[in-house]
Amino acid sequence: MVGIIIVAILAIGASIGVVTARQPVHSALYLVGNILSLALLYLMLKAEFLAAAQVIVYAGAIMVLFLFVVTLLTAGKEERELPEDLPGQRIVAGVLSGLVGVVFAVLAIKYPGPVIKAPLPSHFGNLTGMGRLLWGPDFVYLTAIAIMLVSAALGVMVLNPPRKRRQIEAGDSEQQKSQTSPETAKKEREGTG
Amino acid sequence: MIYTNWVVALAGIIFAIGAIGVMFRRNPLIMFMASEMMWNAAALAFIAFARQFHDMNGQVMAFLIIATAAAEVGIGLALIVSVYHKRHRLDIDEISRLKG
Repeated sequence: MVGIIIVAILAIGASIGVVTARQPVHSALYLVGNILSLALLYLMLKAEFLAAAQVIVYAGAIMVLFLFVVTLLTAGKEERELPEDLPGQRIVAGVLSGLVGVVFAVLAIKYPGPVIKAPLPSHFGNLTGMGRLLWGPDFVYLTAIAIMLVSAALGVMVLNPPRKRRQIEAGDSEQQKSQTSPETAKKEREGTG
Repeated sequence: MIYTNWVVALAGIIFAIGAIGVMFRRNPLIMFMASEMMWNAAALAFIAFARQFHDMNGQVMAFLIIATAAAEVGIGLALIVSVYHKRHRLDIDEISRLKG
């Protein structure tokens, strides 16, 4: 129980850090702390395979991608928060979300649910148990994940085309310049650049 | 002995902090990280319930969440980068009009 309390305090502190950090890099590092403490919690809940997957996929792959993009886009820049378009939106949103969190927590603590006395089934949470489910009754989920990952990779390639194709598109808009007005051609060139 | 209800309460608190982050911040990168935190809280709740009911289907769902989060991060960061290439500013209101 003491371990759970320590890990919970770490997780909540790191998540508050993510929200309040001024620089995106700091909030990415706080997110790494949050993910690692959640992985510890997974270990305590007898989900060994998912703890390993969390560390490898989240703290390894996803956070490296985040840090790449953060350093690519915000290097040497100071974030300035602009005035809000909707006045009072932050206060209302904060109060409502805080209320939702308090209600979640109170309901979860108030209704603990049934306690199963029987010992855990064998291979609970380890690689063998996960494999038996994923290659057995839940194989359709595994197929869906495969399709989703491939389509996500294709989507990223469509969203950020390589430089060569962008230049060809820019050349096309140059040719259209004679037909359309110069202002729209300029807009198109900026849009593709 | 692990008190599952306290773990679920922790998941709810982290979810709410993530929601506050999504609505408070204007930087799309930080909003995105806060939404990652919300995914993580949902996975934590799934795993806690899997432990409580001795049923590994919850862990399969958490695995699904991790894989979906990986795909979602790829798409989302590609969107943020392409919007930044066009507007040269990191602000979520840049895409409020959805017109290139």
